[in-house]
Amino acid sequence: MDGRLSILPVACALLALTACAKPPTEQIEAADKAVKEAQASGASTYTPDEYAKIEGTLAALKKEETEQEGKLALFRDYGKVEQLAMTAKTEAERIKTEATKKKEEAKAAALQAQQVAQEAVKATLELVAKAPAGKDRAGLESIKADAEALKASLNQVQMAIDTADYPAAQTKAKAIHEKSSAVSQEIEAALAKIGKGKPSAGRKK
Amino acid sequence: MSSHGPRMTRALLGWGALALVGALSGCVEAVPQDVIEAVENIDRDLMELRAAEFSPNDYSKFAHQWMALKTRVQADEDLIHWPWEPNDLEIALRQLQEEGSHTVTRLTQERESLRRSAEDKIARVEDRFRIMTLQVSAIDSRLVLGQKPVETDLLMKQAHAFYEQGQYDRALDASERAAQNLATQAAVLNQELGRYANRDRITRWQQIAKETVAWSRTHQTSAIVISKADRELTLYRSGKKVVSYPVRLGFNGIREKRYQGDGATPEGRYRISSKRGQGQTQFYRALALDYPNGDDRRKYHLGRKTGQIPALRAIGGQIEIHGVENELMAQTLGCVMLENSYMALLYDRVEKGTPVTIVGALHEQNSVALTLAMLGVQREET
Repeated sequence: MDGRLSILPVACALLALTACAKPPTEQIEAADKAVKEAQASGASTYTPDEYAKIEGTLAALKKEETEQEGKLALFRDYGKVEQLAMTAKTEAERIKTEATKKKEEAKAAALQAQQVAQEAVKATLELVAKAPAGKDRAGLESIKADAEALKASLNQVQMAIDTADYPAAQTKAKAIHEKSSAVSQEIEAALAKIGKGKPSAGRKK
Repeated sequence: MSSHGPRMTRALLGWGALALVGALSGCVEAVPQDVIEAVENIDRDLMELRAAEFSPNDYSKFAHQWMALKTRVQADEDLIHWPWEPNDLEIALRQLQEEGSHTVTRLTQERESLRRSAEDKIARVEDRFRIMTLQVSAIDSRLVLGQKPVETDLLMKQAHAFYEQGQYDRALDASERAAQNLATQAAVLNQELGRYANRDRITRWQQIAKETVAWSRTHQTSAIVISKADRELTLYRSGKKVVSYPVRLGFNGIREKRYQGDGATPEGRYRISSKRGQGQTQFYRALALDYPNGDDRRKYHLGRKTGQIPALRAIGGQIEIHGVENELMAQTLGCVMLENSYMALLYDRVEKGTPVTIVGALHEQNSVALTLAMLGVQREET
């Protein structure tokens, strides 16, 4: 009788303690928020492997939480959930930083390539403008069409930048730069040829 | 003695239980390290394949399972099990290893297939672009295409760059757009130059050329027929062909002349309106034509009415057959240009009033028609 009485307070204390086991809502919300922020920073594009894993961790966390909620209050243990929430949050923050850095690098590279392309097209257009008017300009007409096409294509680079598709913007800009340089060389060669002849007066045709 | 009995029993039971636990725990196996390493290697393989980028669903599925199992691996309680219980975690890891391995194999095959498709498409489109450029250049119709050739070139450069970056889907997309652009170019050429392949139009051209030659026969005098597709000027005397000379046309000469400055060489029946010798022209010697004639004016006014000719564009004039001012000059602004040696011979054999008939083509199998037919075939093949 004395023994049974001595167990009772211990059991009550244990019951009181386990009955208080509640999911770590704040930590879970913090982890959720951190993962969402990582995604908003472009993690799914710039660190896709790690982002997929962090999503996996978050899913494991939710599963564990559901499993614990399904148990009797006496047997619930949210220790693992807490640990996963902490891991998810820390990892998401790290990935966010990394993705932001990579995105900024990609943006800077795209803007740099865009500037180089713009300068190349400008140089090409200036060369076209240097071509003499009148009859001797006839041979340059197709080159002029090329230069105008290059100028128009710069818009596509800007559109890619506007949609944050920096790798595409960089690739497009590089192609424009390359083509523009080739057209400039062609114009210089044509101008060198034409320079040997005398310019003509403008005539009706 | 009586108090020692139960104590001994309890002690024996305690030691027995401990021994049993010890024996049993000796049989418990943790998840073998090699299974974990195998799954980690698969993860590495998938990352090398850039699975998360190119096949996000597959990688996401793997990553979700892997993270769930990794969580269990890291939690100690899952590593202990009774010997008679199956090791669920190990089974699940082995299953993931097998599934992951299949995914790696499948994605590798898919990537290789995509790479080959991109490589093949790029090569085909590039080949077609190269042929089209050569053909278009051969019939001097580059300007007909406006900005399209540069757009195609840029798309092909992008396709190459994406291919080098391993972005085969983007490489395919860029080369597909380049192929569509080439198809548009072929359509534009057909629309603008389709008359060179039009039997009725060729018959009409043949007819006016025949009438010019007949006029020369009737009047026992000279006449000139120029075929734009052949880049050839033929001199007739009393209805008989005397000589043919190669000519160069306007920078947009293959087109039908519509207005001043379009670089096109007109088609129709003209006459030499004046002869300009040395000192009277900058082009060695020149034979001025009476362009625009009545037909030209009618077409011009119709074009203005229908909006095909911009309001501020005049009809143009001063179309000539002339010599070369600058030996390096490849094209004119719409005239017909001959080498100076040929021009000298021609100049002496014609006079003011000599008919000059300029036609697009004199044969159905002319260079422009053949080019259009060839581009049509290529379009079907790409």
